[in-house]
Amino acid sequence: MSSTIDRRARFEAVVDEVFDPLQRYIRRRIEPDRADDVLSDVLMTAWRRLDDAPSDRLLPWCYGIARRTLANARRGQKRHLRLVHRLEAEPQTGFEPDPAEAGPDAELSEALASLSDDDREVLRLWAWEQLEPREIAMALDITVNAATLRLSRARSRLADRLARQDDAPSGHEAVEGTMEQR
Amino acid sequence: MKDELRERLARIDPMHSGVPMEATTSESSQELLEKIMSTPLKEKTESTPAPRRTWTIAVAAVAALVLAVAGGMALTGGDEAPVAAGPPLELTAGGEDIMASCIAFSPEALDDVAELAFAGTVTAVDGETVTLTVDEWYRGGDAGEVVLNAPQGMEALIGGIPFAVGDAYLISAQGGSVNYCGFSGATTPELQAGFDAAFANG
Repeated sequence: MSSTIDRRARFEAVVDEVFDPLQRYIRRRIEPDRADDVLSDVLMTAWRRLDDAPSDRLLPWCYGIARRTLANARRGQKRHLRLVHRLEAEPQTGFEPDPAEAGPDAELSEALASLSDDDREVLRLWAWEQLEPREIAMALDITVNAATLRLSRARSRLADRLARQDDAPSGHEAVEGTMEQR
Repeated sequence: MKDELRERLARIDPMHSGVPMEATTSESSQELLEKIMSTPLKEKTESTPAPRRTWTIAVAAVAALVLAVAGGMALTGGDEAPVAAGPPLELTAGGEDIMASCIAFSPEALDDVAELAFAGTVTAVDGETVTLTVDEWYRGGDAGEVVLNAPQGMEALIGGIPFAVGDAYLISAQGGSVNYCGFSGATTPELQAGFDAAFANG
């Protein structure tokens, strides 16, 4: 059936565009042994919802699916906690690389780790996924204004943490220029 | 414009440290993609508001309602959870009883059978789970998202609610199971009126 062939072609085009960055997005956020399953689920959802895919923001759209899928995957681990069981406030980001393994910039890793889940996530989308506010908005399912504001505040808070660390004896990193958003 | 903070953050991206990636062209990727594209679709057509047949999941005896996160929730009746992680929660008796005694819908009856009630919008339907974002809690919860879990899958249909991404639903639940028999379903003016009346006093 031609519509099936067409759909496959469209999906393959989407996959070509998003496969690698999507995989990176997932691997940054969940343990390696679960990343493949999540990727598979995200692609399956994208296949089902292909008609909703916005051609100009495919990747952020996929990130949005991945965000929800990751939330489900983390929740899956908690499913044995029955309905009436009080859940601990679960971090939105189940997987954090060990700061000790974060390489040379331990100071920044620490500062990042000290922020809220929302702040961290918006900063990661900005710096790791290299998204702009308009795309962040789609990935987080919020308005562009909200994304802009959230990013700006997260940057300020990160800069504050870094500045505070700088008051401590060690080095003097250049974090000026990140404060203009305050 | 160059942004130092952004660049500095990019340098601590864990993906810089050689995390192995699966190539699109690898055999397993190709297998996966083929499997996905062979999945039959019962998609809703784009512009017709007509029948919602996208995904139908049994949410009666077999459905488990799992509420999660968003700051935790305080519900009555502590519970000893089995410790094994993994497969979805399976519920037995409670739901069946509710099914068996399919009482006629009335706001009072809803009031009786609803330990939990909320209005939500489906954001994802995945295999055996349906995820809803909660638009409003009428009773008993504060989570931002609810996952409906049908461990026995689509096959176990004892009358199901068709869930379609983007559509609104009114859900009530008791003992961890979604109430069926018209006590949950796609939002309609009638059901909405029933929920409003049942939970008028909180």
